[in-house]
Amino acid sequence: MVLRSISIEDFRNHASTALEFDRGLTVVSGDNGEGKTNLLEAIGWVATLASFRGATTDTMINVASDSAVIRVMIEVGGREQTIEAQLNRRGRNRILVNKQPLRKTRDLLGTIRVTVFSPDDLSLVKGGPGERRRFLDETLSSLHLRHHADRADLDRVLRQRNTVLKQAAGRRGGDIDATLDVWDTKMVQVAERIATDREHLVECLSPVVEEVYRSLVEDSTRVQMNYRRSWTGELTAVLAEVRDEDIKRRVTTVGPHRDDLEIVLNGFASRTHASQGEQRTIALALRLASQRVITTTIGDEPIVLLDDVFSELDEQRTRALMDQLPAVQTILTTATGSIPEGVLSSLHYRVSNGLVEPDEAGRSA
Amino acid sequence: MASADCSAERKRYVYEAPVQDLIDELGKMPGIGPKSAQRIAFHLLKLPAQDALKLSHAIARAKELVRFCSRCFNVSAHDVCHLCADSRRDDGVLCVVEEPRDVVAIEKTQEFRGRYHVLQGCLNPIEGIGPEQLRVSELLARLEPENVTEVILSTNPNIEGEATAMYLGRLLRPLGITVTRIASGLPVGGDLEYADELTLGRALEHRRALD
Ligand SMILES: [Zn+2]
Repeated sequence: MVLRSISIEDFRNHASTALEFDRGLTVVSGDNGEGKTNLLEAIGWVATLASFRGATTDTMINVASDSAVIRVMIEVGGREQTIEAQLNRRGRNRILVNKQPLRKTRDLLGTIRVTVFSPDDLSLVKGGPGERRRFLDETLSSLHLRHHADRADLDRVLRQRNTVLKQAAGRRGGDIDATLDVWDTKMVQVAERIATDREHLVECLSPVVEEVYRSLVEDSTRVQMNYRRSWTGELTAVLAEVRDEDIKRRVTTVGPHRDDLEIVLNGFASRTHASQGEQRTIALALRLASQRVITTTIGDEPIVLLDDVFSELDEQRTRALMDQLPAVQTILTTATGSIPEGVLSSLHYRVSNGLVEPDEAGRSA
Repeated sequence: MASADCSAERKRYVYEAPVQDLIDELGKMPGIGPKSAQRIAFHLLKLPAQDALKLSHAIARAKELVRFCSRCFNVSAHDVCHLCADSRRDDGVLCVVEEPRDVVAIEKTQEFRGRYHVLQGCLNPIEGIGPEQLRVSELLARLEPENVTEVILSTNPNIEGEATAMYLGRLLRPLGITVTRIASGLPVGGDLEYADELTLGRALEHRRALD
């Protein structure tokens, strides 16, 4: 699958922007804050129905407008397909594929796949467990459409369950226990599946992460990953055990929303014991490994979106990253004048103040 | 910054009291946001006086004449609705639904000849709806006098509907009543390849032996 073109309207600081793409590498350069990351965010949105920066729909729509439009043309198996997404401040977002409206927006998932690399990836290693769970869930959603629905179901069940816990106001009673029993059963059904799916993914990612890490640093560092559940044994029994605690604290204290992914470097926890440089390399290895696993499983390479990653990497790692990316299509953004030497681009654009124009002079040899 | 100031100003601006009242009342309707409420309000204001009166009359008349059936809690023009009053229907089987519109949907199938019970909602703590807000005790009170032997739980196949069905199932089963849940699966007359993944996945999960 190849992205042929994109046009966006009233998306962040882009009033109206249109770009064409080709196979290979496209470079979008511009100063910080001019709107180059916004372009990648728009491409990411039609792939995942979410912002890779975790932004809400409201913040992505230009303040002067009530809706934003993202239109992309992709080529799948030699055929062209148009996708139009309308993001609305009020009411539901709308998706049209080849001008036909989709009944459910989630039916779009899986049409376009992307892997995003961004300087924020450092938080995959350094940040809280939520960042790592999001990484696993995003990868899983690319692999199985069902996972996206499972995640949405879990969030919904947790919201309902936590509301009952608050309504209990610290006390247990007939109706509270009877309704909690029901929400517990609903939670267990989806929670077991999410945790098992994540465990399988970690098992299959772990050796790939180690291999990629070693080739990035050119040594034989040991990298292991373990999925840490927040409970042991049957979740139904555990939820019953912690019910008093949950009612007291008014939140659900165990479940996949409290799990973590442990990354161990030469026997030490990377979150606390690795250097910043090692942490950056792990983050990169996680993204590359996810890209590789998706490619092998799906048989079609995701589009690689590199958001300003070179500013954070030394020359050796930059070169190693570009070598590791056999991607059919890569779109990268970079601050003015910092395109690494030896990076061959087929197209080059410059962004300034939400306006994009071809940059002939910036094309590197 | 300029546009942020602008929206703050817009919020401070209030319509003439009668107009704002109309917008506020419309905005309380399910699925109607502030913007739609405004649009409907101004549409109503543009209507010829007699058309607007016709609408307000229809609302007042419906409120006056329509109530909930004292047995099944479906909408009814009488104390007992025409479905509960129909002596040809089977008393032993009770179909439990969330809303009156679900009764209409099931009636259209012409597949069901038992009685109904309308819960008037589903378990939804976020919206403040627990078992006490639903017609659950009224359901339990019907079982013995009406000699109910089977209850078909026909709440929606979403999280809240499933939770409601599970809750009711746990209440009813110890009473020695056969409890069933409507199946969810593939649309009849469609092709497998066009079914969405979740529906198809679910249909596979709940597959049955071929008779
Ligand atoms: Zn009735």
